[in-house]
Amino acid sequence: MSVGASNPEYVNARVRSRRASLFADEDYRKLIRMGPSAIARFMEESEYEREINELGARFSGVDLIEYALNRNLAKHFQDLLDWSEGRLYDLIARYLRKFDVWNVKTIIRGIYTETDSEEIRTDLIMAGELDEATIDRLLEVEEIEDAIEMLNRTIYYDPLREAYEEFEETGALVALENALDREFYEHLLEDVSSGPLNEPQEGPEAKYIEFLQAEIDFRNARNALRLARSGADLDPASYYIEGGLLFDQTELSRLVGDYDALVDHIADNKRYGDRLSGAMGRLRDADSLIQFEHALDAALLEYADTLSSIYPASVSAVLSYILAKEREVENIRAIARGREVGLEESEIEEELVIL
Amino acid sequence: MVLELGPELADVALQAEEASGPTLENEGAAALAVGLAALAAGYAERGIGAAAVGAMAEDDDMFVPGLIMTVLPETLVILALVVVFIV
Repeated sequence: MSVGASNPEYVNARVRSRRASLFADEDYRKLIRMGPSAIARFMEESEYEREINELGARFSGVDLIEYALNRNLAKHFQDLLDWSEGRLYDLIARYLRKFDVWNVKTIIRGIYTETDSEEIRTDLIMAGELDEATIDRLLEVEEIEDAIEMLNRTIYYDPLREAYEEFEETGALVALENALDREFYEHLLEDVSSGPLNEPQEGPEAKYIEFLQAEIDFRNARNALRLARSGADLDPASYYIEGGLLFDQTELSRLVGDYDALVDHIADNKRYGDRLSGAMGRLRDADSLIQFEHALDAALLEYADTLSSIYPASVSAVLSYILAKEREVENIRAIARGREVGLEESEIEEELVIL
Repeated sequence: MVLELGPELADVALQAEEASGPTLENEGAAALAVGLAALAAGYAERGIGAAAVGAMAEDDDMFVPGLIMTVLPETLVILALVVVFIV
Protein backbone atom coordinates (compact mmCIF):
# COMPACT_ATOMS: atom_id res chain seq x y z
CA MET A 1 0.00 0.00 0.00
CA SER A 2 1.57 3.25 -1.02
CA VAL A 3 1.16 6.43 0.96
CA GLY A 4 0.84 10.07 0.04
CA ALA A 5 -1.64 12.16 -1.86
CA SER A 6 -2.94 10.85 -5.14
CA ASN A 7 -2.82 12.85 -8.35
CA PRO A 8 -5.98 12.09 -10.29
CA GLU A 9 -5.85 15.35 -12.29
CA TYR A 10 -2.49 14.63 -13.85
CA VAL A 11 -3.23 11.02 -14.63
CA ASN A 12 -6.63 11.90 -16.00
CA ALA A 13 -5.28 14.52 -18.38
CA ARG A 14 -2.70 12.13 -19.77
CA VAL A 15 -5.09 9.23 -19.98
CA ARG A 16 -7.74 11.23 -21.78
CA SER A 17 -5.22 12.43 -24.29
CA ARG A 18 -4.11 8.87 -25.01
CA ARG A 19 -7.67 7.73 -25.13
CA ALA A 20 -8.30 10.26 -27.87
CA SER A 21 -5.48 8.84 -29.98
CA LEU A 22 -6.90 5.31 -30.05
CA PHE A 23 -8.14 4.01 -33.38
CA ALA A 24 -11.61 5.15 -34.31
CA ASP A 25 -14.28 2.83 -35.64
CA GLU A 26 -13.63 4.05 -39.20
CA ASP A 27 -10.03 2.93 -38.85
CA TYR A 28 -11.20 -0.59 -38.16
CA ARG A 29 -13.29 -0.53 -41.32
CA LYS A 30 -10.17 0.50 -43.22
CA LEU A 31 -8.07 -2.18 -41.53
CA ILE A 32 -10.55 -4.91 -42.36
CA ARG A 33 -9.79 -4.42 -46.03
CA MET A 34 -6.02 -4.67 -45.60
CA GLY A 35 -3.66 -7.61 -45.52
CA PRO A 36 -1.27 -8.26 -42.62
CA SER A 37 1.63 -6.30 -44.10
CA ALA A 38 -0.61 -3.34 -44.90
CA ILE A 39 -1.92 -3.43 -41.35
CA ALA A 40 1.64 -3.37 -40.05
CA ARG A 41 2.37 -0.40 -42.26
CA PHE A 42 -0.76 1.35 -41.07
CA MET A 43 0.29 0.74 -37.48
CA GLU A 44 3.73 2.08 -38.22
CA GLU A 45 2.21 5.42 -39.05
CA SER A 46 0.29 5.55 -35.79
CA GLU A 47 0.79 5.01 -32.08
CA TYR A 48 2.63 1.77 -32.69
CA GLU A 49 5.51 3.21 -34.66
CA ARG A 50 8.23 2.46 -32.16
CA GLU A 51 7.15 -1.11 -31.45
CA ILE A 52 6.80 -1.97 -35.12
CA ASN A 53 10.26 -0.58 -35.84
CA GLU A 54 11.86 -2.38 -32.92
CA LEU A 55 10.34 -5.74 -33.76
CA GLY A 56 10.27 -5.35 -37.52
CA ALA A 57 13.68 -6.93 -37.99
CA ARG A 58 12.84 -10.06 -36.05
CA PHE A 59 9.28 -10.82 -36.98
CA SER A 60 6.97 -10.32 -39.88
CA GLY A 61 3.33 -10.57 -40.82
CA VAL A 62 0.80 -11.37 -38.14
CA ASP A 63 3.42 -12.22 -35.53
CA LEU A 64 4.90 -8.77 -35.88
CA ILE A 65 1.49 -7.19 -35.37
CA GLU A 66 0.73 -9.34 -32.39
CA TYR A 67 4.00 -8.75 -30.56
CA ALA A 68 3.90 -5.04 -31.31
CA LEU A 69 0.39 -4.87 -29.88
CA ASN A 70 1.40 -6.71 -26.72
CA ARG A 71 4.43 -4.57 -26.22
CA ASN A 72 2.55 -1.34 -26.81
CA LEU A 73 -0.14 -2.40 -24.37
CA ALA A 74 2.45 -3.20 -21.74
CA LYS A 75 4.17 0.13 -22.30
CA HIS A 76 0.99 2.14 -21.88
CA PHE A 77 -0.14 0.32 -18.80
CA GLN A 78 3.27 0.51 -17.22
CA ASP A 79 3.09 4.26 -17.83
CA LEU A 80 -0.15 4.42 -15.89
CA LEU A 81 1.59 2.89 -12.90
CA ASP A 82 4.54 5.25 -13.28
CA TRP A 83 2.38 8.35 -13.24
CA SER A 84 -0.01 7.57 -10.50
CA GLU A 85 0.62 8.00 -6.82
CA GLY A 86 -1.05 7.23 -3.54
CA ARG A 87 -4.46 5.68 -3.49
CA LEU A 88 -4.87 6.07 -7.23
CA TYR A 89 -1.82 3.86 -7.73
CA ASP A 90 -3.34 1.20 -5.51
CA LEU A 91 -6.59 1.18 -7.42
CA ILE A 92 -4.90 1.02 -10.82
CA ALA A 93 -2.34 -1.57 -9.76
CA ARG A 94 -5.08 -3.71 -8.38
CA TYR A 95 -6.88 -3.67 -11.70
CA LEU A 96 -3.75 -4.26 -13.74
CA ARG A 97 -3.07 -7.40 -11.77
CA LYS A 98 -5.15 -9.09 -14.40
CA PHE A 99 -2.00 -9.10 -16.50
CA ASP A 100 -0.12 -10.78 -13.69
CA VAL A 101 -2.82 -13.39 -13.66
CA TRP A 102 -2.51 -13.71 -17.43
CA ASN A 103 1.27 -14.02 -17.23
CA VAL A 104 1.24 -16.59 -14.46
CA LYS A 105 -1.42 -18.57 -16.33
CA THR A 106 0.61 -18.45 -19.52
CA ILE A 107 3.76 -19.56 -17.74
CA ILE A 108 1.99 -22.42 -16.00
CA ARG A 109 0.49 -23.51 -19.29
CA GLY A 110 3.90 -23.23 -20.89
CA ILE A 111 5.47 -25.40 -18.22
CA TYR A 112 2.64 -27.87 -18.56
CA THR A 113 3.12 -28.21 -22.29
CA GLU A 114 6.92 -28.00 -21.96
CA THR A 115 7.17 -25.03 -24.24
CA ASP A 116 10.47 -23.29 -24.70
CA SER A 117 10.82 -20.37 -22.30
CA GLU A 118 11.65 -17.89 -25.07
CA GLU A 119 8.43 -18.82 -26.77
CA ILE A 120 6.45 -18.32 -23.59
CA ARG A 121 8.03 -14.94 -23.11
CA THR A 122 6.69 -13.58 -26.37
CA ASP A 123 3.17 -14.19 -25.13
CA LEU A 124 3.59 -12.37 -21.85
CA ILE A 125 2.29 -8.87 -21.29
CA MET A 126 4.56 -7.10 -18.88
CA ALA A 127 1.98 -4.73 -17.47
CA GLY A 128 1.30 -6.05 -14.02
CA GLU A 129 2.83 -5.82 -10.60
CA LEU A 130 5.22 -8.75 -10.85
CA ASP A 131 8.64 -7.44 -11.76
CA GLU A 132 10.81 -8.71 -14.56
CA ALA A 133 13.17 -10.57 -12.25
CA THR A 134 10.36 -12.67 -10.83
CA ILE A 135 9.02 -13.39 -14.30
CA ASP A 136 12.50 -14.37 -15.47
CA ARG A 137 12.89 -16.80 -12.65
CA LEU A 138 9.41 -18.17 -13.27
CA LEU A 139 10.35 -18.83 -16.88
CA GLU A 140 13.37 -20.85 -15.85
CA VAL A 141 11.61 -23.38 -13.63
CA GLU A 142 10.59 -26.74 -14.99
CA GLU A 143 7.93 -27.88 -12.55
CA ILE A 144 4.63 -26.19 -11.82
CA GLU A 145 5.18 -26.76 -8.12
CA ASP A 146 8.46 -24.83 -8.23
CA ALA A 147 6.76 -22.01 -10.05
CA ILE A 148 4.18 -21.80 -7.30
CA GLU A 149 6.94 -21.79 -4.69
CA MET A 150 8.48 -18.89 -6.59
CA LEU A 151 5.36 -16.83 -6.02
CA ASN A 152 5.41 -17.29 -2.28
CA ARG A 153 5.47 -13.62 -1.44
CA THR A 154 2.55 -12.73 -3.65
CA ILE A 155 -1.16 -12.92 -3.08
CA TYR A 156 -1.39 -15.84 -5.48
CA TYR A 157 0.62 -18.22 -3.34
CA ASP A 158 -2.05 -19.51 -0.95
CA PRO A 159 -4.80 -20.06 -3.49
CA LEU A 160 -2.36 -21.72 -5.89
CA ARG A 161 -1.08 -23.98 -3.14
CA GLU A 162 -4.61 -25.13 -2.43
CA ALA A 163 -5.45 -25.57 -6.08
CA TYR A 164 -2.27 -27.51 -6.69
CA GLU A 165 -3.57 -30.43 -4.68
CA GLU A 166 -6.61 -30.56 -6.89
CA PHE A 167 -4.40 -30.28 -9.93
CA GLU A 168 -2.35 -33.24 -8.78
CA GLU A 169 -5.48 -35.33 -8.47
CA THR A 170 -7.11 -34.40 -11.74
CA GLY A 171 -4.23 -33.25 -13.89
CA ALA A 172 -6.33 -30.41 -15.29
CA LEU A 173 -5.02 -26.85 -15.27
CA VAL A 174 -8.52 -25.46 -14.77
CA ALA A 175 -8.17 -25.63 -11.01
CA LEU A 176 -5.06 -23.48 -11.00
CA GLU A 177 -6.46 -20.99 -13.47
CA ASN A 178 -9.67 -20.61 -11.52
CA ALA A 179 -7.77 -20.04 -8.34
CA LEU A 180 -5.85 -17.21 -10.00
CA ASP A 181 -8.97 -15.62 -11.45
CA ARG A 182 -10.85 -15.73 -8.21
CA GLU A 183 -7.98 -14.32 -6.27
CA PHE A 184 -7.78 -11.42 -8.71
CA TYR A 185 -11.45 -10.57 -8.70
CA GLU A 186 -11.87 -10.94 -4.99
CA HIS A 187 -8.97 -8.60 -4.32
CA LEU A 188 -10.48 -5.98 -6.60
CA LEU A 189 -13.16 -5.02 -4.14
CA GLU A 190 -11.04 -5.45 -1.06
CA ASP A 191 -11.11 -2.44 1.29
CA VAL A 192 -13.25 -0.33 -1.02
CA SER A 193 -16.34 -2.29 -0.27
CA SER A 194 -16.93 -3.77 3.13
CA GLY A 195 -20.01 -5.75 2.28
CA PRO A 196 -23.21 -5.03 0.38
CA LEU A 197 -24.78 -2.97 3.17
CA ASN A 198 -22.09 -0.50 4.09
CA GLU A 199 -20.88 0.50 0.67
CA PRO A 200 -20.75 4.19 -0.10
CA GLN A 201 -23.99 5.12 -1.83
CA GLU A 202 -22.72 7.97 -3.97
CA GLY A 203 -19.52 9.68 -5.01
CA PRO A 204 -16.62 8.40 -7.08
CA GLU A 205 -15.97 5.47 -4.78
CA ALA A 206 -19.50 4.18 -5.24
CA LYS A 207 -19.13 4.35 -9.02
CA TYR A 208 -15.84 2.51 -8.88
CA ILE A 209 -17.49 -0.26 -6.92
CA GLU A 210 -20.40 -0.27 -9.36
CA PHE A 211 -18.04 -0.72 -12.27
CA LEU A 212 -16.13 -3.55 -10.63
CA GLN A 213 -19.36 -5.26 -9.68
CA ALA A 214 -20.48 -5.01 -13.28
CA GLU A 215 -17.23 -6.59 -14.40
CA ILE A 216 -17.59 -9.44 -11.90
CA ASP A 217 -21.22 -9.93 -12.85
CA PHE A 218 -20.38 -10.10 -16.53
CA ARG A 219 -17.61 -12.55 -15.83
CA ASN A 220 -20.00 -14.75 -13.88
CA ALA A 221 -22.64 -14.45 -16.58
CA ARG A 222 -20.13 -15.40 -19.24
CA ASN A 223 -18.91 -18.43 -17.31
CA ALA A 224 -22.45 -19.50 -16.55
CA LEU A 225 -23.52 -19.20 -20.19
CA ARG A 226 -20.50 -21.11 -21.36
CA LEU A 227 -21.19 -23.87 -18.87
CA ALA A 228 -24.87 -23.99 -19.75
CA ARG A 229 -24.06 -24.02 -23.46
CA SER A 230 -21.40 -26.65 -23.41
CA GLY A 231 -23.32 -28.84 -21.01
CA ALA A 232 -20.02 -29.71 -19.39
CA ASP A 233 -20.33 -31.57 -16.16
CA LEU A 234 -18.41 -29.15 -13.99
CA ASP A 235 -19.29 -27.75 -10.63
CA PRO A 236 -20.48 -24.16 -11.29
CA ALA A 237 -19.64 -23.19 -7.72
CA SER A 238 -15.94 -23.53 -8.44
CA TYR A 239 -16.25 -20.88 -11.14
CA TYR A 240 -18.29 -18.51 -9.06
CA ILE A 241 -16.65 -15.21 -8.22
CA GLU A 242 -17.90 -13.38 -5.19
CA GLY A 243 -18.68 -9.69 -5.09
CA GLY A 244 -21.17 -9.41 -7.92
CA LEU A 245 -24.84 -8.55 -7.62
CA LEU A 246 -26.32 -10.51 -10.48
CA PHE A 247 -26.08 -13.98 -9.02
CA ASP A 248 -25.42 -15.55 -5.70
CA GLN A 249 -23.84 -18.92 -5.54
CA THR A 250 -26.97 -21.02 -5.12
CA GLU A 251 -28.78 -19.11 -7.85
CA LEU A 252 -25.93 -19.70 -10.22
CA SER A 253 -25.77 -23.41 -9.55
CA ARG A 254 -29.50 -23.67 -10.14
CA LEU A 255 -29.53 -21.57 -13.31
CA VAL A 256 -26.65 -23.28 -15.07
CA GLY A 257 -28.89 -26.30 -15.55
CA ASP A 258 -31.53 -24.29 -17.37
CA TYR A 259 -30.29 -22.17 -20.24
CA ASP A 260 -33.48 -20.16 -20.86
CA ALA A 261 -33.95 -19.36 -17.19
CA LEU A 262 -30.38 -18.14 -17.09
CA VAL A 263 -30.93 -15.78 -20.02
CA ASP A 264 -34.16 -14.55 -18.44
CA HIS A 265 -32.42 -13.96 -15.15
CA ILE A 266 -29.84 -11.71 -16.79
CA ALA A 267 -32.45 -9.86 -18.85
CA ASP A 268 -34.66 -9.23 -15.81
CA ASN A 269 -31.93 -7.67 -13.75
CA LYS A 270 -32.77 -4.01 -13.32
CA ARG A 271 -29.23 -2.78 -13.36
CA TYR A 272 -28.12 -4.45 -16.58
CA GLY A 273 -31.40 -5.43 -18.24
CA ASP A 274 -31.75 -2.26 -20.31
CA ARG A 275 -28.12 -1.95 -21.13
CA LEU A 276 -27.92 -5.48 -22.45
CA SER A 277 -31.33 -5.69 -24.06
CA GLY A 278 -29.94 -5.67 -27.61
CA ALA A 279 -27.39 -8.31 -26.77
CA MET A 280 -29.96 -10.46 -24.97
CA GLY A 281 -32.19 -10.41 -28.02
CA ARG A 282 -29.36 -11.64 -30.17
CA LEU A 283 -28.46 -14.28 -27.63
CA ARG A 284 -31.99 -15.61 -27.61
CA ASP A 285 -32.46 -16.06 -31.32
CA ALA A 286 -28.93 -16.71 -32.52
CA ASP A 287 -26.83 -19.35 -30.94
CA SER A 288 -23.68 -17.39 -31.09
CA LEU A 289 -22.15 -17.08 -27.69
CA ILE A 290 -19.28 -15.12 -29.16
CA GLN A 291 -21.65 -12.37 -30.26
CA PHE A 292 -23.03 -12.18 -26.79
CA GLU A 293 -19.59 -12.03 -25.24
CA HIS A 294 -18.68 -9.18 -27.55
CA ALA A 295 -21.89 -7.46 -26.55
CA LEU A 296 -20.93 -7.88 -22.91
CA ASP A 297 -17.54 -6.34 -23.64
CA ALA A 298 -19.15 -3.43 -25.44
CA ALA A 299 -21.64 -2.93 -22.62
CA LEU A 300 -18.87 -2.89 -20.04
CA LEU A 301 -16.94 -0.38 -22.11
CA GLU A 302 -19.93 1.89 -22.47
CA TYR A 303 -20.60 1.54 -18.79
CA ALA A 304 -17.06 2.59 -17.95
CA ASP A 305 -17.41 5.58 -20.28
CA THR A 306 -20.57 6.78 -18.57
CA LEU A 307 -18.98 6.44 -15.18
CA SER A 308 -15.91 8.36 -16.26
CA SER A 309 -17.99 11.31 -17.41
CA ILE A 310 -19.95 11.44 -14.17
CA TYR A 311 -16.86 11.96 -12.05
CA PRO A 312 -14.20 13.45 -14.32
CA ALA A 313 -11.33 13.36 -11.84
CA SER A 314 -11.68 9.85 -10.52
CA VAL A 315 -10.19 6.50 -11.31
CA SER A 316 -13.09 5.64 -13.64
CA ALA A 317 -11.50 7.42 -16.59
CA VAL A 318 -8.39 5.31 -16.17
CA LEU A 319 -10.40 2.12 -16.05
CA SER A 320 -12.31 3.09 -19.15
CA TYR A 321 -9.02 3.79 -20.93
CA ILE A 322 -7.64 0.41 -19.91
CA LEU A 323 -10.72 -1.29 -21.30
CA ALA A 324 -10.69 0.75 -24.50
CA LYS A 325 -7.03 0.03 -25.11
CA GLU A 326 -7.52 -3.67 -24.55
CA ARG A 327 -10.40 -3.62 -26.95
CA GLU A 328 -8.28 -1.90 -29.58
CA VAL A 329 -5.54 -4.47 -29.23
CA GLU A 330 -8.00 -7.32 -29.41
CA ASN A 331 -9.74 -5.86 -32.43
CA ILE A 332 -6.54 -5.34 -34.39
CA ARG A 333 -5.42 -8.83 -33.49
CA ALA A 334 -8.75 -10.25 -34.61
CA ILE A 335 -8.50 -8.40 -37.92
CA ALA A 336 -4.94 -9.54 -38.55
CA ARG A 337 -5.64 -13.15 -37.64
CA GLY A 338 -8.86 -13.09 -39.59
CA ARG A 339 -7.14 -11.80 -42.71
CA GLU A 340 -4.39 -14.37 -42.31
CA VAL A 341 -6.78 -17.29 -42.40
CA GLY A 342 -8.81 -15.65 -45.16
CA LEU A 343 -12.09 -14.83 -43.46
CA GLU A 344 -14.65 -12.70 -45.26
CA GLU A 345 -14.82 -9.02 -44.33
CA SER A 346 -18.27 -9.45 -42.83
CA GLU A 347 -17.07 -12.41 -40.80
CA ILE A 348 -14.21 -10.41 -39.37
CA GLU A 349 -16.55 -7.57 -38.59
CA GLU A 350 -18.57 -9.92 -36.44
CA GLU A 351 -15.49 -10.71 -34.43
CA LEU A 352 -14.88 -7.08 -33.53
CA VAL A 353 -16.14 -5.25 -30.49
CA ILE A 354 -17.45 -1.99 -31.91
CA LEU A 355 -19.62 0.37 -29.97
CA MET B 1 -0.66 32.79 44.87
CA VAL B 2 -1.84 32.72 41.31
CA LEU B 3 -5.42 32.31 42.46
CA GLU B 4 -5.22 35.42 44.58
CA LEU B 5 -3.89 37.46 41.73
CA GLY B 6 -6.55 36.16 39.32
CA PRO B 7 -9.09 39.02 39.54
CA GLU B 8 -6.41 41.68 39.26
CA LEU B 9 -4.93 40.00 36.23
CA ALA B 10 -8.32 39.94 34.57
CA ASP B 11 -8.70 43.64 35.28
CA VAL B 12 -5.40 44.45 33.65
CA ALA B 13 -6.21 42.30 30.63
CA LEU B 14 -9.62 43.90 30.12
CA GLN B 15 -8.23 47.42 30.43
CA ALA B 16 -5.52 46.64 27.89
CA GLU B 17 -8.18 45.51 25.44
CA GLU B 18 -10.16 48.70 25.88
CA ALA B 19 -7.11 50.80 25.27
CA SER B 20 -6.02 49.14 22.01
CA GLY B 21 -9.44 48.92 20.34
CA PRO B 22 -10.47 45.96 18.10
CA THR B 23 -7.80 43.36 17.32
CA LEU B 24 -8.39 43.59 13.61
CA GLU B 25 -8.79 46.94 11.87
CA ASN B 26 -10.57 47.21 8.53
CA GLU B 27 -7.28 47.27 6.63
CA GLY B 28 -6.13 44.18 8.47
CA ALA B 29 -9.35 42.34 7.63
CA ALA B 30 -9.04 43.34 3.98
CA ALA B 31 -5.47 42.05 3.86
CA LEU B 32 -6.63 38.79 5.39
CA ALA B 33 -9.35 38.53 2.74
CA VAL B 34 -6.80 38.92 -0.05
CA GLY B 35 -4.55 36.35 1.58
CA LEU B 36 -7.34 33.83 1.91
CA ALA B 37 -8.40 34.41 -1.68
CA ALA B 38 -4.82 33.82 -2.80
CA LEU B 39 -4.76 30.58 -0.84
CA ALA B 40 -7.98 29.47 -2.51
CA ALA B 41 -6.59 30.38 -5.93
CA GLY B 42 -3.47 28.37 -5.18
CA TYR B 43 -5.54 25.38 -4.21
CA ALA B 44 -7.60 25.60 -7.38
CA GLU B 45 -4.49 25.95 -9.50
CA ARG B 46 -2.94 22.88 -7.95
CA GLY B 47 -5.39 20.57 -9.67
CA ILE B 48 -5.56 22.50 -12.91
CA GLY B 49 -1.79 22.81 -13.10
CA ALA B 50 -1.34 19.09 -12.60
CA ALA B 51 -3.82 18.37 -15.36
CA ALA B 52 -2.23 20.97 -17.64
CA VAL B 53 1.23 19.48 -17.20
CA GLY B 54 -0.23 16.10 -17.96
CA ALA B 55 -1.84 17.37 -21.13
CA MET B 56 1.38 19.15 -22.19
CA ALA B 57 3.39 15.98 -21.67
CA GLU B 58 1.14 14.23 -24.17
CA ASP B 59 0.85 17.07 -26.64
CA ASP B 60 3.11 20.12 -26.86
CA ASP B 61 0.40 22.22 -28.49
CA MET B 62 -1.42 22.24 -25.19
CA PHE B 63 1.12 24.61 -23.69
CA VAL B 64 -0.79 27.86 -24.30
CA PRO B 65 -4.28 26.58 -23.40
CA GLY B 66 -2.76 24.84 -20.38
CA LEU B 67 -1.11 28.02 -19.22
CA ILE B 68 -4.30 30.04 -19.62
CA MET B 69 -6.40 27.49 -17.80
CA THR B 70 -3.87 27.29 -15.00
CA VAL B 71 -3.89 31.02 -14.24
CA LEU B 72 -7.68 31.46 -14.53
CA PRO B 73 -8.30 31.08 -10.77
CA GLU B 74 -5.93 34.00 -10.33
CA THR B 75 -9.00 36.21 -11.03
CA LEU B 76 -10.12 35.29 -7.52
CA VAL B 77 -7.21 37.22 -6.09
CA ILE B 78 -7.81 40.19 -8.38
CA LEU B 79 -11.45 40.38 -7.30
CA ALA B 80 -10.44 40.09 -3.67
CA LEU B 81 -8.00 42.92 -4.21
CA VAL B 82 -11.00 45.23 -4.85
CA VAL B 83 -11.76 44.99 -1.13
CA VAL B 84 -8.46 46.64 -0.33
CA PHE B 85 -9.47 49.75 -2.29
CA ILE B 86 -12.96 49.89 -0.81
CA VAL B 87 -11.98 50.03 2.87
